[in-house]
Amino acid sequence: MNIIETQNITKHYSRGKIRALEDVTLSVQSGEIFSLLGPNGAGKTTLIKLLLGIVFPTSGSATLFGKPISDASSHGQLGYLAENHRFPEFLTAKQVLFYYGKISGVNKADLQKRIPKLLEQVNLTGWENTKTRKFSKGMLQRLGIAQALINDPKLLFLDEPTDGIDPVGRREIRDLLKTLRDQGKTIFLNSHLLSEVERISDEIAILKNGRLVRKGSVDEFISIKAQFQLQLVDEFQKAGEICRQLQIPLIPQNGHFLISVRDDTQLNHLIDALRTAEITIRGIVPRKISLEDFFIDVIEEKEDATA
Amino acid sequence: MKLLAIIQLTVRESLAKKTFIAFLGSSTFVCLLFLFALNLDIVNGAESYISIFGSGPDKLFQLDELIFGIEGGIAAALFVAGIFLSLFATSSLIPSFLEKGTIDLLISKPLRRWEILLGRYLGAVAIVAFNIFYLVVFSWLILSIKTGIWNFGYLLAGAMIVLTFAILYAFMTLMGVLVRSGPFSLMLTYLIIFFTPFLLQRDQIYALLSNKFYGYLLDGLYHFLPKMAELGNITSQLVQGASVSSWLPLVTSLGFGILMLFTSTIIFSRKNF
Repeated sequence: MNIIETQNITKHYSRGKIRALEDVTLSVQSGEIFSLLGPNGAGKTTLIKLLLGIVFPTSGSATLFGKPISDASSHGQLGYLAENHRFPEFLTAKQVLFYYGKISGVNKADLQKRIPKLLEQVNLTGWENTKTRKFSKGMLQRLGIAQALINDPKLLFLDEPTDGIDPVGRREIRDLLKTLRDQGKTIFLNSHLLSEVERISDEIAILKNGRLVRKGSVDEFISIKAQFQLQLVDEFQKAGEICRQLQIPLIPQNGHFLISVRDDTQLNHLIDALRTAEITIRGIVPRKISLEDFFIDVIEEKEDATA
Repeated sequence: MKLLAIIQLTVRESLAKKTFIAFLGSSTFVCLLFLFALNLDIVNGAESYISIFGSGPDKLFQLDELIFGIEGGIAAALFVAGIFLSLFATSSLIPSFLEKGTIDLLISKPLRRWEILLGRYLGAVAIVAFNIFYLVVFSWLILSIKTGIWNFGYLLAGAMIVLTFAILYAFMTLMGVLVRSGPFSLMLTYLIIFFTPFLLQRDQIYALLSNKFYGYLLDGLYHFLPKMAELGNITSQLVQGASVSSWLPLVTSLGFGILMLFTSTIIFSRKNF
């Protein structure tokens, strides 16, 4: 089931002078971590704001839980962590969660049970009665995540959730997001930290200049088609001979070999030939690049195309 | 409940600003001054002798006149200085909640936009009402218990002051939504307070002008804008126990306030943040 759907959604500012989003059509399935990537000013935050009704589309349409985005009733099932969010500085962490919980429609009894658990989940136990003006950026970010979870939402929008958080904290947040996904929640993530995104996302979309340029699973993007890493125990010369006969390029790389095959049939022929020659294969691993490399390729590729 | 949470949050934010605490402290000081300074000796029922800090006046006062005078003085001070200070103290409430990072979170909650703005507006009115009634009710109780003169018109005057603030704050809310600047909204609201009493003399102003258009303009402004001078008169009449000559200025001023609030919610509901 698609929990988020957009149809040619477009947002222009200043009477069309600023084109924040252009004809973006995408869908997000229930129970997955969906990440939105793009350079600064690509339209990532605008898309989140459109979906939440914070800004209005110039044209196109979108739905959340099958309801039009103009219907605020669906907001009871979602949580949102805004980029550079601000909490009233005169409130303590506990009071922030209490008031935002009440505004989200959570009753007092549920809040009293939920607040200590959430503070524990985001590692803020012991800080519940401290005013937020004394909090560091990282602590405010954790509190922001707790706030987004206060109504036990089915859909979570997180705009730069690990911003200002140290590596240990980032790992904890990553684990928390995985746990939430395992609980069946859908997470819409907007992050600059590509290594984080790569580790946790099921699907990604890349925006460039307000346009959707790629959308698919992380594996699909970071696996290089028909390139494998071949790991052998010995008999390297013999293996080289076999590859030459099958016209498969074999490139030594860091103690193993890189091979490029036409298709799966050729790969299987190679395996058969190696095994017939009694060469021990330790492993055949599809070659991958980092999401960061892929992202930069996509952004530069588009720039080249538009140049 | 969600609307109430916005109101509560606004009240807390107002209390966090030291202005209201100072207001509350000043009110308490004034009331305590009355409590300890006012020594009354009741003589023959209606005729009374009063001494302030122990020294008595040369002649006997009509006690009810004195009490009405004190209450009238407090009401007048509240009408002018109280509203002036309250507008100053609440001027940042609308622009501050429209800042990025705050308004985004609120809009993402299951509330309609007009509810968010209304909650904020009611929160500001609630804290001002609390401050004004604190002084009015406290001073009313002290004066009434000490003298036995229970002037309920004084309480109604308190309600009038809150209503006047609510009307002006509706205008300030609209300005806050439009320009997102507390000082700018405040200056325009102060302009209304000081400008509208001159409109009572619009016939004399018109006599100095040759063009008929100015006459229509001044008439239009008079009927459209809140009538501060008349609202002040109504407040004074209520305290003195006199019959109010006309409620029309209150009705038209309330109409202005409702229109401003309605326009604010329409604009707020269509704004990109």
